[in-house]
Amino acid sequence: MASKDETVFHATGLTKVYRSGAHEVQALRGVDFQARKSEFIVILGPSGSGKSTFLNIVGGLDRASGGEVWFRDHQLTALDDRGLTQYRRDHVGFVFQFYNLVPSLTARENVALVTEIARRPMSPDAALALVGLSDRRDHFPAQLSGGEQQRVAIARAIAKNPEVLLCDEPTGALDSATGIKVLEALAEVNRKVGATTLVITHNAAIRDIGDRVLRFADGRIVEETVNATKKRPAEVSW
Amino acid sequence: MVISPLRRKVLRDLRRLWAQALAIALVLAAGVATLILGNGAYASLSETRARYYGEFRFADVFADVTRAPLALMAEVRGIAGVLAAEGRIVKLALLDLPDMAEPGTILLVSLPEAGEAGLNQLYLRQGRLPDSQSADEVVVSEGFATAHRLRPGSSLAVVMNGQRRTLRLTGVVLSPEFIYALGPGELMPDPRRFGVAWLPRPGLEAAHDLEGAFSNLVLKLAPGADADRVIEAVDRLTAAYGGAGAIGRADQISHAFLDAELRQLSAMVKILPPVFLLVAAMLVNMTLSRLVTLEREQIGLLKAIGYSGRAIAQHYVEFVLAVAVVGIAIGFAAGAWLGAGLAGLYARFYAFPFLVFARDAGVYGLAALVTAGAAVAGALFAVRAVLTLPPAVAMSPPAPADYRSRMGFALQHLALRQTAVMTVRHLIRWPLRTASGIFGVAMAVAVLVASLWTFGSIERLIDLTFFQAERQDVTVAFAGAEPARAVQAVRQMPGVLLAEPYRSVAARISHRTLSRKVSITGRPAETTLSRVLSPDARPMALPDAGLVLSEALCDALAVRPGDLVTVEFLEGQRRTITLPVSGQSLGYVGLGAAMEISALNRAMHEGALISGVNLMLDKAQGPAFYAAAKAAPKTGFVIVLGRTVQRFRDTLAENITAMISVYVVLAAIIAVGVIYNFARIALSEQGRDLASLRVLGFTKAEVSGILFGELAVIVLLAQPLGWGIGHLIGLGMVTAFSSDLYRVPLVIGREVYAMASLVVCAAALASALAVRRRINRLDMIEVLKTRE
Ligand SMILES: Nc1ncnc2c1ncn2[C@@H]1O[C@H](COP(=O)(O)OP(=O)(O)OP(=O)(O)O)[C@@H](O)[C@H]1O
Ligand SMILES: [Mg+2]
Repeated sequence: MASKDETVFHATGLTKVYRSGAHEVQALRGVDFQARKSEFIVILGPSGSGKSTFLNIVGGLDRASGGEVWFRDHQLTALDDRGLTQYRRDHVGFVFQFYNLVPSLTARENVALVTEIARRPMSPDAALALVGLSDRRDHFPAQLSGGEQQRVAIARAIAKNPEVLLCDEPTGALDSATGIKVLEALAEVNRKVGATTLVITHNAAIRDIGDRVLRFADGRIVEETVNATKKRPAEVSW
Repeated sequence: MVISPLRRKVLRDLRRLWAQALAIALVLAAGVATLILGNGAYASLSETRARYYGEFRFADVFADVTRAPLALMAEVRGIAGVLAAEGRIVKLALLDLPDMAEPGTILLVSLPEAGEAGLNQLYLRQGRLPDSQSADEVVVSEGFATAHRLRPGSSLAVVMNGQRRTLRLTGVVLSPEFIYALGPGELMPDPRRFGVAWLPRPGLEAAHDLEGAFSNLVLKLAPGADADRVIEAVDRLTAAYGGAGAIGRADQISHAFLDAELRQLSAMVKILPPVFLLVAAMLVNMTLSRLVTLEREQIGLLKAIGYSGRAIAQHYVEFVLAVAVVGIAIGFAAGAWLGAGLAGLYARFYAFPFLVFARDAGVYGLAALVTAGAAVAGALFAVRAVLTLPPAVAMSPPAPADYRSRMGFALQHLALRQTAVMTVRHLIRWPLRTASGIFGVAMAVAVLVASLWTFGSIERLIDLTFFQAERQDVTVAFAGAEPARAVQAVRQMPGVLLAEPYRSVAARISHRTLSRKVSITGRPAETTLSRVLSPDARPMALPDAGLVLSEALCDALAVRPGDLVTVEFLEGQRRTITLPVSGQSLGYVGLGAAMEISALNRAMHEGALISGVNLMLDKAQGPAFYAAAKAAPKTGFVIVLGRTVQRFRDTLAENITAMISVYVVLAAIIAVGVIYNFARIALSEQGRDLASLRVLGFTKAEVSGILFGELAVIVLLAQPLGWGIGHLIGLGMVTAFSSDLYRVPLVIGREVYAMASLVVCAAALASALAVRRRINRLDMIEVLKTRE
């Protein structure tokens, strides 16, 4: 294993322009960014500031219009669709606001969906145990609460032992108590699995649980704060 | 013009769902086209025939006699119900044509005398009718003239009653009596080998020694007259003159074949269009159910703001009607086009002077109405459920799909991949739709099985008829019965390797109230050439006494081996006797009755007589043999079996190929329509899940595999069902097609099922690939931003 401060992500001059007809939207206007192994990064910023766009490019879901992103020695911005798929499959775990679970599969099956195609997965049961849902593994998403569904999504994201965990508003659809549980699950996983974790949130209170906080505005990173001490999710006031 | 918002939505939906709408429209079009084709062809054929018969006074009753005095005509005309009667001379003659080595056959028919009204009047295509005083002028049937490039002015060499004569063509004609002109012993009209010629009476009288006499009788009945009574009366009057039994139109060859064709058409109309319309209704229902589910909240909103359930239902019905209109329009065009093709076929097979095109608005109107009805029914069925929901319930999103129930859990114990589990659970979740999909694809398979089997069936018919039963190269039929030693003379002809005599006698066989006029064939007990086959297709020896009847005849008379039947011979001493049915034989063409030849001679109380000889020929000496046969005074006509088989195979192959191409297209339309719509609906329901899987790192191929897995299950499960339904349709067709003229063996070989499945799988693959493009374009980011 590489050293603790090995660079996992390295982005320079990242831009993204959405074109719809004559209309142009500058979603990213030159983002420079680095992340180290096991780092827990919280991303804040007003709506429309480009947070999701940034996360999607880093996660290999979308392509940049300009600039470069490197994941270790892979230049993501040079990969084709097949290469990006392989990147997501091998290295990235995702958690989204709306969980995106498969409704026809049980909790355990949703996790197994990913472990079946992963290189060095943990067992689905172990992943569910990490998020505290062992006893609900045979329930379908429709039988679970929002928070429970989100924890299944986290279990699914970490079950492959990913090197990066990307979370876009994971607590956005949850009440505060549930949100804390979900964040605790994320923090726990970050500690145990050692995945570099990026979490987008609108809740500024959450900033304290990260190693570092990035603030987006108008397609740029406008502020970067390093937390000397991390709080545990339960300690932050919501 | 102001378009209401709902109507604008109809247009927008149509644009958005155009591919699915088109797939449905095509299935509807197939229904419309088959309806129009079937009904239109039926109407066209039956109306053409009716008009032709009416205008050209086609007779109602027909009878052959050996020789009856013209004076008898007065008595015939006196029979109650007879409107007009004509005594004609009708005789077969041999053709001696320079462009044909083997002798052809021409049927010579006397023209009515000047002043006679005439039945079965001729339609003059070219030239003029013969001068009634002339001894060598003649008009011939059009098919024959065309086949031999004969024109008014051409000459024609015939051998009449052993005398060679040269006739001069004055015209080319058509006759309602020979719309389907089948030569003696032939299976298919062959205008090269068989023609009909009409000439003035005197020439025929002289050649056949029939001055003041007639050999054939045609009667026209008064409307409403009882044909059976007239037939009985004619039989009584003609018995003394060698009357071979009068027949009505139903037994007249040309008429009967047209009847068989009409029956097939009406069977087609009963089977095909309902299949298409049912499948289309199912597709409409499937597609609209999904649309309505997607628009559930909008429907709730519309109801909340005061739109009535009716107005909303009308909106969806309008959408479906728009699809139906497109389908109907395509169907009209395709139906008219196919109809023209079929009419072309008819024009080749049936000699009509004109074809009445049933561009009957009624047929089109009915087709449109039935089709629109099927579509709307499918739509209302789908919309019903939502309309009954209170607006408040409808406006809230539907409860998430419930995958808990049923056999879903059993899957955990199978070692399936999770993606396979998704496939199976989704299929089980919507059992009705899954069943519809399976049924629809099965119908495509069935339509193919039900059309493709005919190839094998015809091959079997040919094999049994020509390679197992009738194995002779040539049959020489004498003009009349000859002593058994006549076979020696034939044996002496060049190239004859084997000669076997036969006796053929017209008789009426009856059992209880059922009776059929057939010809009983006498053969030696064991033969090498023309053989009687047992029902298991093995050659059988003829018993010493008693009759062997074909299965078709046994069915027609409701007899089984062991029963007694009454046989009334219509030749010689015209005895009526009782004979046992000693066996059943296989035979697909006509009604067959066979007897050991000497037993037949004994039963007839005649000496050792024969009617003709079956021959095996040395091919190299064919021309020499044919020359000798033409020259032999006793030769009535010659059947060359090789040519018959060839003609049969060519003609049927052509027709069946045309028919099967149409069926393959129709089946492909069903398969594509069902599978494409099914796939689109599945994609609409699972697109979000599939896009999520792409996010998780599943490849395009893996994600498509989930959906294709569903299609594969549907297509696979549909195969055996389709084979079964196809077999049943085949069975129905065999029943519908079988008549006294011919039967069709139902043989569906493995290659038929395989071919049907192959075509449907190809269509399925094409539809799957069409959907694959959409799967590949799934927007991953979009599904992350929205809740379902
Ligand atoms: N597919 C798209 N087409 C056009 N514009 C887009 C598209 N996706 C995003 N944008 C625009 O890009 C900008 C950045 O969007 P992004 O989704 O990254 O914002 P965000 O910071 O995640 O906002 P939020 O907090 O509301 O999720 C916005 O102005 C948005 O309207
Ligand atoms: Mg966002």
